[in-house]
Amino acid sequence: MTTDVPVSDNPARDRHQLGTLILAIAIITGALLAVSLAIATATFLNQYWFLHFPLGFYLLAQGVLIFLIAAAFWFTRMQEHIDHKRSESGELS
Amino acid sequence: MSGHSRLRTPNPHLGAYYGIVTSAVVSLVIVLAMLEQLGWSEALIAEAMIAVPLVLYLIIAAGAHTLNVEDFFTSGRRVPSVFNGFALAATAVGGVGFFAYTGTVFFLGFDALAIGLGWTAGLLLTAVLFVPYLRKAGSYTLPSFLGHRFRSRYLRMTASVLQLPPTALLLAAELKIAAMVASLFLPLSFSLAVIFVAVVVAASVLLGGMRSLTWTGSAEFITGAIGLATPLIIASILLTNLPVPQFTYGETLSSLHNAEITTGLTPVAPDISASPLPGAAPLPVTKPFLEPFGSLSEAEFAVLFFSLALGTACLPSLLVRSGVTGSVNDQRRSVAWALLFVALFAMTAPAIAAFAKLVMFQDIAQAPASALPAWLTELSGRHLVQAGDANGDGAIGASELHVARDGIAIALPMAMKLPYVLTALIAASGMAVALAAAGSHLFTLSTSLAEDLYRVLDRRPTALPRLIAAWAAIGASALAACVFLLIADLDPLRAALTAFAFAGSTFFAPLLLAIWWPRCTAQGAFAALGAGFLVIAATTVMSAFGGGHAAITTAIASLGGSALGLVAGIAASLFRRRPSEAEMIYCEEMRDPEGEAIYDRAQARAAAVAAASAAASSQ
Repeated sequence: MTTDVPVSDNPARDRHQLGTLILAIAIITGALLAVSLAIATATFLNQYWFLHFPLGFYLLAQGVLIFLIAAAFWFTRMQEHIDHKRSESGELS
Repeated sequence: MSGHSRLRTPNPHLGAYYGIVTSAVVSLVIVLAMLEQLGWSEALIAEAMIAVPLVLYLIIAAGAHTLNVEDFFTSGRRVPSVFNGFALAATAVGGVGFFAYTGTVFFLGFDALAIGLGWTAGLLLTAVLFVPYLRKAGSYTLPSFLGHRFRSRYLRMTASVLQLPPTALLLAAELKIAAMVASLFLPLSFSLAVIFVAVVVAASVLLGGMRSLTWTGSAEFITGAIGLATPLIIASILLTNLPVPQFTYGETLSSLHNAEITTGLTPVAPDISASPLPGAAPLPVTKPFLEPFGSLSEAEFAVLFFSLALGTACLPSLLVRSGVTGSVNDQRRSVAWALLFVALFAMTAPAIAAFAKLVMFQDIAQAPASALPAWLTELSGRHLVQAGDANGDGAIGASELHVARDGIAIALPMAMKLPYVLTALIAASGMAVALAAAGSHLFTLSTSLAEDLYRVLDRRPTALPRLIAAWAAIGASALAACVFLLIADLDPLRAALTAFAFAGSTFFAPLLLAIWWPRCTAQGAFAALGAGFLVIAATTVMSAFGGGHAAITTAIASLGGSALGLVAGIAASLFRRRPSEAEMIYCEEMRDPEGEAIYDRAQARAAAVAAASAAASSQ
């Protein structure tokens, strides 16, 4: 059996939008998961110490924030890469 | 390229200008420190420390004055990303974050971290979901974006009305914080301080709109950063021998724990009958700093975090800055910078709270009630602390020390017996950040009134020109905020949390659908806006009469309103007609990061058509 696969009128645009969507979902899921995990495990992790802080407290006061900073700059870089690929495809076509 | 397009090159001398601003603030601190040693009175030092930077901000605002519409509303779309990051961070944190969040960490310790986390995560959400697309759209306000996206004047006007509650609440909260500082350190009553602060904020917005707001906001952010860092680094060196308070306050936590036990502080459990967040009036501390989930349960902590994250992500006062940089990539980078600055503040606030609590509790644990430390008398005179031996045991316990939440940052240098200039510096820096945030909220509120309501309702050619309408709205909004503050007793923290809940509940769903779902229609956006707003408005009114956990109920309603808004928006979009061809094209263009802003292109086309028709009629 054969199926007709619809052909996009602008594959570069579609690739760009798909890449953007995947990156957005990955970043937001990662960030919210990190915060949720830190909240859920805070009481348990407080029995361990890191840099003189209880670990659960440290993660919510600093660890997750450092992760969010890294995620924001990584996202910016990745999205610029995705945008750049789209503009390159546009120039070639 | 059309004649309308302008070069988006930032001013190459900005670094030098702000180097001068930084040097001026540092020099002022050094000069006042020397004058303090030479015998200047505390009142004179405080007045100079607050008044000189205010004059500097007004000079910068006057230098950035403009009569150009694009400059007034978008600062010419040529603000470098770091400077926009300064202004965004000052707006997100504001005086409420500087004073009220720090005080909340003092009272709740661990449980207050949800607030700082929420602000930071919200900036990540907005960088990913909204800001780059709003930059490409190029509309001057959030309601005008919704109006252009869905080709609907009514949607634009509705969104403008619905953004009034969060923006007005935040404006009032920031003005109250700035007025509180002014009345503490300048020879002004609270009423006069409110009027004084409102005039300063209105002047800096009136002169150049977004342009003057951006450049004064950057200077205010720099003053805020210097004023926060200097006393705290000195406190850190004195207490831990290291100048990195964010990482070294951990060393003081065991001493703090011992001081809390000595003063009779015991672990607590969440109390459903009482508000989990401290009010603005002086209160005793009831919860140990490190105890997790003592005032808020785990679920309440998560709800508060998510509510603040959603509210920050779609706060109109932050999104109105989405069109000021030169490109989509610059705009995205500017939010990343803002996130860095807000996260640094969120890491710093617990250090201030921990140091202040340690010094205060150690002092009262060691001193008999008959010989209270000098700082306690000084802070009592400013109504920031009250202490008395209520149970007659000869000592001051934790329950007998009542502390004003919003005065903790000011109390730290006093309690540590640091030179008075550092107390004045921290007050001036908190006031600077409050002024920057108040300016942003005032600009957002008034430009929306002028652009999205007045200009849409009154399209007569004889109507007020665009800038005059904006100036009138700025003056009227500042006056209304003044009158409100003189009548109402507003708790800045509670007002800010309610404002974030309103913003999240009302705008998250329609913005998400407008940007990420091309199938969304104007009816869907209406349904999403209306459903979210009704949920949060009804809950806020009910919790105002019901008492109890008002902050948590509002946060839950914010999440519920956002979810309901999404469902209503999708259902209404699927039920009615498909989007028009123009809406689909707009959506496609908005997702393309290349090229001029859609709004600018439309303006250029309109200008070209007008010029062609004028030429034809003259022939």
